[in-house]
Order: sequence, then structure tokens, then C-alpha cells
Amino acid sequence: MTAPSSAPIHRQRRTRRAVLIADRAADLVIRTGGVGVIVAVFAIMAFLIETVWPLFLAGSGGQRIESEVAESDLRPLSTLVDEHRRLAAAVDRHGRVRLFHVETGAGMAAADFDFGGARAAAFARALEGRDLAFGFNDGSVRLARIEFRSEVVAEIPTGLRALGRDRGDGRALYSPLPDGQWRRLWLESALEAPLKLSDGPILALDYRRGGTAERPSRTLLAVDAAGLPRLLRAETRLHLLTRRATTRTVAFDLPALPDGAQATRALLTSAADQAYVAAADGRLFRYDLRDPARPALVETLRPLPAGATISAMTFLIGEQSLVLAGSDGAVDVWFRLPSETGGDGFALVKAHALEPHAGAVSGLAASERGKLLLSADVAGRVWLRHATSERTLAKLAAPQGAVEALALAPRDDGVLAFSRRQESLRILSWTVDQPHAETTLRTVFGPVWYEGYAAPGFTWQSSSGGDGFEPKLSLVPLIFGTLKATLYAMAFALPIALGAAIYTAEFLHRRIRAAVKPAIEMMASLPSVVLGFIAALVLAPLVESWVAAVILAFVALPLSLAAAAFLWQLLPAARARRLGGVPKFVLIGGVVGLGLWLAAALGPWFERLVFAGDVKAWLEGDIGSAVPFLVLLLFVPSYLAIALGTRRAAGDALAAMTRPLGRAGLAAIDLARWLAELAAALLLAWLMAAALAALGFDARGSLVEGYAQRNALVVGFAMGFAVIPIVYTIAEDALAAVPEHLRAASLGCGATPWQTAIRIVLPTALSGVFAAVMIGLGRAVGETMIVVMAAGNTPVMEWNPFGGLRTLSANIAVELPEAVRDSTLYRLLFLSALVLFAITFAVNTLAEIVRLRFRKRAASL
Amino acid sequence: MSASATRARPPDLAAGGEPFLFGLGGALLAGLFMILGVLALILWNGAATFWPRPIERVELRSGHTLAGEPIRSERFRPAGSAAESRRTLYRVGNYDLYGDEFRWVDEAEIGRRDRPGDLVLIERLEWGVFIGRLVGAETAGRALDPADAEAFAAVHAEARRRWRGMRALERDAIAEVNRRIERERLDLRRLELRHGAGSAIVRAAADAAESRLVHWRAEHGRLSERLERLRSEDARDTARVVESGGREVALKLSAIVRFYPANALGPLGAIRVYLSRWAEFLSEEPREANTEGGVWPAIFGTLAMTVLLSLLVAPLGVMTALYLREYARQGRAVAAVRIAVNNLAGVPSIVYGVFGLGFFAYLAGGTIDALGFAESLPNPTFGTGGLLWASLTLAMLTVPVVIVATEEALASVPRSMREGSLACGASQWQTIRRIVLPRAMPGILTGLILAMARGAGEVAPLMLTGVVKLAPELPIDASFPYLHLERSFMHLGFHIFDVGFQSRNSEAAKPMVFVAALVLILLVAALNALAILIRARLAARFRGGQF
Repeated sequence: MTAPSSAPIHRQRRTRRAVLIADRAADLVIRTGGVGVIVAVFAIMAFLIETVWPLFLAGSGGQRIESEVAESDLRPLSTLVDEHRRLAAAVDRHGRVRLFHVETGAGMAAADFDFGGARAAAFARALEGRDLAFGFNDGSVRLARIEFRSEVVAEIPTGLRALGRDRGDGRALYSPLPDGQWRRLWLESALEAPLKLSDGPILALDYRRGGTAERPSRTLLAVDAAGLPRLLRAETRLHLLTRRATTRTVAFDLPALPDGAQATRALLTSAADQAYVAAADGRLFRYDLRDPARPALVETLRPLPAGATISAMTFLIGEQSLVLAGSDGAVDVWFRLPSETGGDGFALVKAHALEPHAGAVSGLAASERGKLLLSADVAGRVWLRHATSERTLAKLAAPQGAVEALALAPRDDGVLAFSRRQESLRILSWTVDQPHAETTLRTVFGPVWYEGYAAPGFTWQSSSGGDGFEPKLSLVPLIFGTLKATLYAMAFALPIALGAAIYTAEFLHRRIRAAVKPAIEMMASLPSVVLGFIAALVLAPLVESWVAAVILAFVALPLSLAAAAFLWQLLPAARARRLGGVPKFVLIGGVVGLGLWLAAALGPWFERLVFAGDVKAWLEGDIGSAVPFLVLLLFVPSYLAIALGTRRAAGDALAAMTRPLGRAGLAAIDLARWLAELAAALLLAWLMAAALAALGFDARGSLVEGYAQRNALVVGFAMGFAVIPIVYTIAEDALAAVPEHLRAASLGCGATPWQTAIRIVLPTALSGVFAAVMIGLGRAVGETMIVVMAAGNTPVMEWNPFGGLRTLSANIAVELPEAVRDSTLYRLLFLSALVLFAITFAVNTLAEIVRLRFRKRAASL
Repeated sequence: MSASATRARPPDLAAGGEPFLFGLGGALLAGLFMILGVLALILWNGAATFWPRPIERVELRSGHTLAGEPIRSERFRPAGSAAESRRTLYRVGNYDLYGDEFRWVDEAEIGRRDRPGDLVLIERLEWGVFIGRLVGAETAGRALDPADAEAFAAVHAEARRRWRGMRALERDAIAEVNRRIERERLDLRRLELRHGAGSAIVRAAADAAESRLVHWRAEHGRLSERLERLRSEDARDTARVVESGGREVALKLSAIVRFYPANALGPLGAIRVYLSRWAEFLSEEPREANTEGGVWPAIFGTLAMTVLLSLLVAPLGVMTALYLREYARQGRAVAAVRIAVNNLAGVPSIVYGVFGLGFFAYLAGGTIDALGFAESLPNPTFGTGGLLWASLTLAMLTVPVVIVATEEALASVPRSMREGSLACGASQWQTIRRIVLPRAMPGILTGLILAMARGAGEVAPLMLTGVVKLAPELPIDASFPYLHLERSFMHLGFHIFDVGFQSRNSEAAKPMVFVAALVLILLVAALNALAILIRARLAARFRGGQF
């Protein structure tokens, strides 16, 4: 370096190669590493979106296999498809049972039902299609059963006919399995002896199996041409020791259909407690069979517009929802809900109107596993829908036209239809894949009418023990819970954090400040699981046994601080100034302690006064009057109104009058004024409360209702702990960053420290303080462990501070470990995470932008 | 305050804002009280839990006698009575006999109470504590006088040693043999997957494996036999104890973790019990559904995860900050990235957990399994939560902290130093390595340690990515390949959640949770203190080094 003569070229040669390589390598590594980390961090959002996206995609549906059936004179009444969608069985009115290979249409033999030449006039099948019933013109009924059977075999017989990938021997089908074995699949059918139910022809019937494994029951409902419905119920009891089965059969006559209505369709629940009969004139009759000795026709309604008749009807799984399809193309879902008007305390209510077909609906088929539903119309359109989400998932079209029989595959992964044009009968098989049929943006964020609910609402209930259970996945209660928890936490934390920050920055002795600030910041390093544990196992029981004292503390603490302040004013100015540092700080601490002690000591008295001696019973609405609590609620607004009102109206006059009194006198007057204001505010609040109560208003039932040990109040306290240090630190930094010369100027102009703090420092630092609040908000929104532990995790929507809640984050923590990968629940939990991500990202970005602006402004001051 | 007698203007009390000042001060003090309250609560409960309490024998008016540690007493209103009364909660132990470990006793029911010196508290491996009197003991068929404390203690120590040997045999030796056998099966399966079942290679390998398996099975039989022998030996060492109601029970000596005469314990004895309990807590494994025993696996898991996390987060965070500050062109894009990185520090941790589960465990782990561990499918190896995924998730969570801290540290290195170095002919990397990084090191380390502290205290994302309530094996052990990144692990924070919320008896578990909370807080506080210390040290070293 010291040799000025060395030329640059010479210098370059002397740079060691290793240095150059290291520089190059470092450059490359740091650049790729840096960019990589940044990309990775943003990939989080992309990944979340990618996982959530399929929820709202229409699943795939429409890939069609078509094959022609040789036996074209078959008119299938019903079809059944096996769970691998290899074979389709069809039954017709003459008792013919036919089995077809779906891919090729090749027929296979199956045992026909021998009706003795008779032709069935009416037909019914249970939801899953295995139990069949045929009604005849002579008034007899025959029950039948068809069922697919399968077994895995290692070797197959020789001389089989090749059917695509499969082999067939005329009676059974052999399908290759991935591990080299074969699945043998065949159909079994059985027909029972005729049962004589009526003398006239049977027009409509339904047949159900029910009961328990130990006491299976079978019920048959048949309506004859005279409009007389008859119920036949066979209950089998298995003797526990002898294993001998005894069957008891009883028959009941149901009240006849009124005014000569001709039945077209009948439906019966498995428990045989409800029966529905559709008539040719478009009416629907509902029978209540809960007491079999006294069956009653309890409801008659016309579910479709005049002129339209019910052309198909079925239950959805669980038999709580009734699907009615009309000759006008309507497909509606009806719920039986408790009602005043119904004869049995129930009434049918139209809950979902699905997208109507253009023409008359010719057939319906419901899923065995969920709320999927197939409907076909006379023009050959086959639509796959979801009853709860009202979504039309796939619109399939049979190119030939009319669909004669329709089935949804047992695994909901395919649709099978027999379709006819002129004399050619074809099997159509569609593959459908609808993993998230039940979710749309509307079901996740809007009200949904679920089975058994009185009205559309927001519900989160992802699992239950029941078989026919439908997951209810609305994020709204969780978002509500998140907002509620955040609100209570912020309501608790902000006054403390901001008050503490202002006091620390502006009024605290420098030496105390050096100790106080790290102490509060230390709170930030308390793991939230510890806070949650303390909240749930220490704080919650404590609050529960001291509810009244806790409520009183919110009143007692500010009041005792104010009282102390008014008394402090009575001190001579010089002494006040001398004691203004540490002694005053200690005094305030003592007053806080005193306020808390007062609250605890007066708690029982307060409980008797306001809550009639028992807060929990009062909250349940069992005892006490509404007035005292309303007084409590109205006290703060009425105090503010009175204080501001007197200052506005008489402030100047008062000041003029008291001017000659001097400091001590002024302070005494001030104290008296405050006490008078308090008394007046109490009176005003009481008057208003009495008036409201007279009008029938009660905070119970709307604002507060019931008490849960782990509640929003406890969560507010605990989450306040998590939020306070963050808000405090950032706000205090912002306040402390206000340049000293502003303060000096203000004080120099004669302003008091209080005026300086509130009129000069706070406005200058406002954007920094705002950023602090926003960052605290972001923390509260996403806090997980505290809420999981202390909130009770009930996804309810009420503002009650004594009620539980469930937040988005807690819900994820509780349910994601159990969620099956890529299921609807899994994706919805990812959606919750995305919502949380978006909320906090927005809030934090806002805070960051405001903070940067503040920093710039502070620098320019 | 502005009032002064010499002033022409009269004093204006409103300008002083005294009520508001008291309000602000009250807010600050309320906040301070809260913190101190919580800290005191944890410290007191955590520190006092292990202190041996006296045992009271209580004779009820009904003639029934019970003995237990008084836990706390409170006022209550007996059912159907208007007057308040006091009641005391006793930890009576003997869960196997009473069906409950705690009992409330109404003061009004108590006839007489005393503290007899012969009552012992016995901590057992199962069923919690036993409270009663020691009436006899037996070792290898001969009777032992329990009054001979020294001999009894020696026999007990021997039984415990034997028990530890049995556990080691079961946990280590037999488990190792099982692992070998399982590995043979997996090796074979891998070959099958590669060459097809029934191929010549697989058949040859199967034959070779069979010969090895014979050896291992023999080894397994031998070890099991030894274990059986030890067990039968162990069953012959028993102590006979009588509970306060007079029922006599025989306890296996090896199942007694610790026993002490609670009322005849001097201060020294009490301290010994106290310290031995702490030692057990810090070094032993949990038992009784985590409500008793120690938390060593949880401490180890927390530490292992934190170390792994810092190994991941330090280079990534520093690299990113170096890129943002030293390499990238400062412009709108970098400013936007900086804001975004800042914000990521505020994204809820559970969101990272969701990402970790979906991306790391399921997607990345699933891919690794399909490529490298196909033989053990459908059992996932990496395709489920584990130490690696949890650490990576927390690394993503904490990397913004390190980036922000490092950037700030880099920004505080004066520009003149960089320019001087470059002007002397140093390359950019040389400048960074020799000039910038050393000066920025205090800030970087502080950020790193704060990230570790945050990671150590975080629970929510871990619940999704690999923490379990009871891990049978530590993530680092003597079995090849020694570091098992795919294993799920225990964590102190999750331990607190689990014991406090999922255990059968939260009253019994509460003290242990307080201790675990104390340990976790101390761990986090130690990391924080270390950050402050390092910052102070390094700052002092470079003070005056700037120009």
C-alpha cells in the first residue's frame, strides 16, 4: 500500500487466488441463502393457499364409460352397484334380476325373483338399495333382498371370459388386485313369501330394516287403492342364552288418506316412527307412528306449486331430511322441526331449495355416507348435488335421453344410470371425485341450515359419535371467538400498558424507570404455556370464587386512585412537590393495594347488593333483580356525562367563584365537586336502570348469561399478560423518542408536566403508540396456548364475559393433530391458519408502515 | 403543581391533572404487581413443592382415622347449613386403597390431631405416595427389622440398584436386540422392493438374515431369562406397611423410590429429601402419566430442539441479513422485504405449526419416506412430526428475529469502517468477515439467543410438528446413527400443558406443573440473561474501537 509506484495490474496479480475464490463463494452463498430464506418465508403463504384451494374447487366429475346391454326389453326399476363399480344389478317389475359388467355391458346370470307371472304394481327400496319390496295388484307384498358378495381368491378357474381387465364365468366376476390376487364378486338374491296386506291393488309401499343387532326389526308400509295405509312390523328377539330367535309380527291400520287421495309414493323411517305418503294430487301426508297403538295423520301439506306433483322422494342419510322432487323440476330438502302448528309438535319446513331441473324429475338417489344426492330428469340430465351446501357439483348428461334407474356408488365415487333411447338400453357409469362437496365460501363464512337446527346458523362441530353425523364447519364462531378474546384482552391490557408507558416515560423518576422497564419487559419472556396454565388452574378457580370482588375491583381501583388524587391535592404545593418523586410512587402503589383489598373485603357485601348474594345463580337468571347490575353498567357513561356536563355548563362560573379561595380551598372544593358528581352519576344511573328494567330490559340473557369457569374474562386477564409487555415496550420507546426540546419548550411556556405529556408528547408520539397497539393486537389474535387452556374451547357466539369461547388458533391446535391429511377438516384448518396469517399480516403491516412514518417524523423534529 | 403564591394567576388544579396522574401511575403499578405476583406464585409454588411437609394424623368424631399432608384450608358453606365453616385438604395418598389421593376434612368433624413421629411417607413407582407406618420388611426370605434404619436403607438401596439394572436390561439391551431384528426385516423388505419378492438376491439375503436372526433370537431369550430371574429375586424384597386405618400392605422394596419419616425429619433431613427430589426431577424419567418422577426427557428434548434450532437459524438469519444489508441494492423492493420480514415476526406461531405439519412433515417427510424409507411404509419415518421438523418450523418462526437483530447490528457498524477496509484493497467478503461481522457480533448473538429463548418457550407449533406427551426414546442415544432426527420428542412446555390438562387428577399434578413451569422459566430467563451478558461483554470489547 505504501509503494505508490505499483501499478493496478501488478496489484491484481498479487491478490491471492484464495481471497478471490472466497469472495466469489461468499457472494454466491450469501445471495442464494438470503434470497432463499426470503422466498421460503413467503412460500408459507403460497403453501397455505395451495392446501386450501381444493376446498373451493368443484371436484372432478364426468368421465363416462358407456356400454350397451343386450337385453333391451329390461325396464329396470332399481339398480345397485358394487363398491368397486365393476358390476351393476338391475331389477324389473317381473322379478327379473340382471347383472351387468359395467365396462362392457356383458350380462351375467343371477337368480330371478319368481313372482308367479304377476307384475309388480308398486316398488320400494331402502336407502342403500339392498332391501326391496314389491306390491301387487292383488294386495299382496313380497320382500326381497339383493346383495353383492366378494371374496379374495389366489387362483382363478380356467376358461373364463375376458371382460376388459376382468374375467367372468357367467355368475361371478374376477377382478385382478394389485398384489396378484383376484377379487371374486357375485350377487346374492332372496325373495320372501307373499304377505297379504290388502284386498285392493297396492299403490305405494316402503320397507325398512331397523332396530339393534340384538333386536332387529323390519317394517313395511303399504297404501292400497282405497287410500288405506297399513303398517306391518316384525320384531325379532334373539334369546341371550339359547340364541333362539322369536319373531313377533303386528299389523296396524293407519288413518286413511283424506278425500280419496291416491297414493303414489310412501316413505318410512327405519325406526318406524314417521311415515310419509305422497298423493297423485301433489299433497304430502305425514303420519306420526311413535305410539304404534295410536297412529295419527299429523300433517298435510302441498310442498310444490299448484299443478305440480311429487315425482320422487327419498330420505337423506339419518332419515331426518326429506328430499322431495317435483314434476316441475324442483328438488327441495325438507326438515321436520319442532313447531307449534304441527299435530305432534313438529312440522315440515323447506330448508334447502336446490337448483331446479328444467323438466320433471324422474329419479332421486341419496348417498349412504353423506349428504350427496343425485337427481335425474326426463330429459336425461343427471345432477350430482350436495343437500346442505345446495351446491350442484356435477351436471352429467345421458346422451340418449330418459334415465330409467339411477344409483350413487357406495363410496360416493361414481354414478351409475340405465338410460334408454328407443329400444337400446345402455349402462352409463361416471367417475366422480367430490372430496369437499360440503364446503363453499358460503358454508364456511355464511349461515347454513343444518339438519335438526331450527334456522340457518353458524356452527362449528367437526366430529361426533353418531353415524349419520354431518360435520358442521363454519369458521364464523371461531372468528367471533378470536375477536372476543382479542377484545377482552385488549380492554384489559391497553389501559394498563398505555397508562404505564406514559407514566414511565413522562413522570417516573429516572432511577425507578431503569428498574421498572426491564421488569415489565421480562413479562414478555414468560412462555405463554405458563401463562395459560396459571390462568386455567390458578386464576380461573380464583376468579370463580371471587367473581363479585373481581367485578368490584374494576370500580374500586379507579375510584380509590381518584380519591387518593383528590386528597393529594389537599397537600400544600411545596410539600406536594417535595414528595412528588419516590414517595408519591410508593403511595400510588399503596392505593392500588388498598383498592384491591377493598374489592376483596367488600366483595361479599357487593355480591349481596348487586347479585342477590350469589353471582352464578344471578347470572343464570334464577334470582335477583336486573336493576343493580344495570346501574353498574350505566355508571361510567352517566359519570362522564355529568362530569362533562357540569364542566361545560358551570365550569367557568365555578372557577370564577372559587378563584379567591387559594390552593387548599380549591382542592377541597374539587373533592366536594367530585363526590357530588359521583353521587349524581349514581342517581342518574339508577334512574336509567330502573326505567330500562321497567321496560323489560335485562342484561342477563343478552349480555351476560351463565358462568363457565374458563371464560372470556380469565382469557382476557391472561392474554393481557402476554400483550401488556409488548404494547408497553413499544409505546414507551415511542414516547421516550420524542425530542427533549419539545418538552422543554412546553414546560417553559408554563404548561404543567401533565399538560405537556398529554398535549405535546402524546400527539407527537401517537403513531408510534398506535403501532404498539396494533402489534399487541396482532399478538392477541394469534395467541394459542393461553386460549387452549383457559377459554373452555366452546365454539359459541355470545359476548358474555363469563362464557367460554374458541379461537381460530386454539381450534387449530386442538383439531389439527386429529385431522386426516387432505380431508375437508384438514383443509379448513389450513384455511383458519390462512385467515390468521392474513389478519396478523395486515395488522402488522399497518403498524410497521405507521411506525416507519413516525420514525421519519421523529427524526425530522 | 404550577401553583405558586407569587403568581398572579390563580392555581388551576385541572392543569395538574392529578387524578389522571394517579390513574397512569396506578396502571403502571398494577402491571408491576401482576408480574411480581405471577413470578412470586411460580417461584414459591415451584420451590416449595419438593419440601417435605409434616404428616398429620386426624381422628374424626366418627371414629375414623386418617393421615395426610395438610395442603391448604379454606372457608366453605357445608351443604344445608347457613353458617360458614373451615375445611382442610389433606393429601392422604394410598390411591390404590382409597381410590382418591386427596380428601377434604371439615374442621368441625375433627376430634383430635397430632403428628406422630413414626408415620412415613413412601413415594412409590406406581399409585402415588403411601402414607402409613413401616411395620416390617423381608429380604430374600429373612425378616428385617425396619427399626434398624441403616440396614433397611442398605437393603432398599440394593433393591433400587437391582431395579435400575432390570430397567437398563429391558430398555437398552432387549430393546437393542429388538431393533436389530426389526432392522433385518426392513433390510429384507428394502431388497424386496428393489429386486422384487422371490428374486434370487432376496432369497440369498433372507437366508443370510435368518442365520443372524437365530443369533439375535437366542440373545433375546437369554436376556429375557436374565430379566425373569432378576424379577423373581426382586419380588422377595418387601416391606410391610400399615395405613392409618389399620390395613396392612406389602410393598416391593424396589418400587419404593424414596421414604422418610415426615414428622421426625430434622432440618438437615428435610434438605436432603428436598435436594434428592430435585435431583430426581431433573434427571429421571416421568412416571404415572407424567405426574410424577422427573422431566429429564423433556428438558433434554427442549435443549436438543433449541440447539438444533439455533444451528439452523443462525446461518440462515445472518445470511439473509447480510444479503439485505450488504449485497442487495437498497430500494423499494428491499424496503418492502424488510417490512415483510418484520411482520413475519408477528405472525402467530400456530400458523408456522400448520405450515410445518403440512409442508415439512407431510410433504417433505412423505417424499423422503417414499424415496429413502419405503421399506417401513406405511409406518412413517420422516412423514410425521419429529425433532427435525419441529426445529425447522421453529427456525422459520424465529428467523425474522435473527434477521431483524442482525440487520440492526450491521447497520450500527459505521460506514467509514467498511469504506476504509475496501479502500485498503480488501474484498467485500474480507471486509464483512474481518471488519463488519466482528463488530456486529454482539447484536447478532443477542438476536440469536432471543430467538432461542422464544423457541424454547413456544409450544403451539410443536404440538403439531413432533412433540409427544411421552417419548419412549431420546432423540440422541447410543443406537446407530446416534442422532435420530425423525423421532418425536418431549418438551417442557408441552409437558406443562399435558400434565396440567390431560392428567386424571389435576390437583395432584398441579405442584409438578409449577415445578416444570419454574424450570422452563429459568431456562428461558437464563437464555435471556446470557443474551444480555454477551451483549455487554462484546460491546465492551469493541468500545473505543470505532472511529
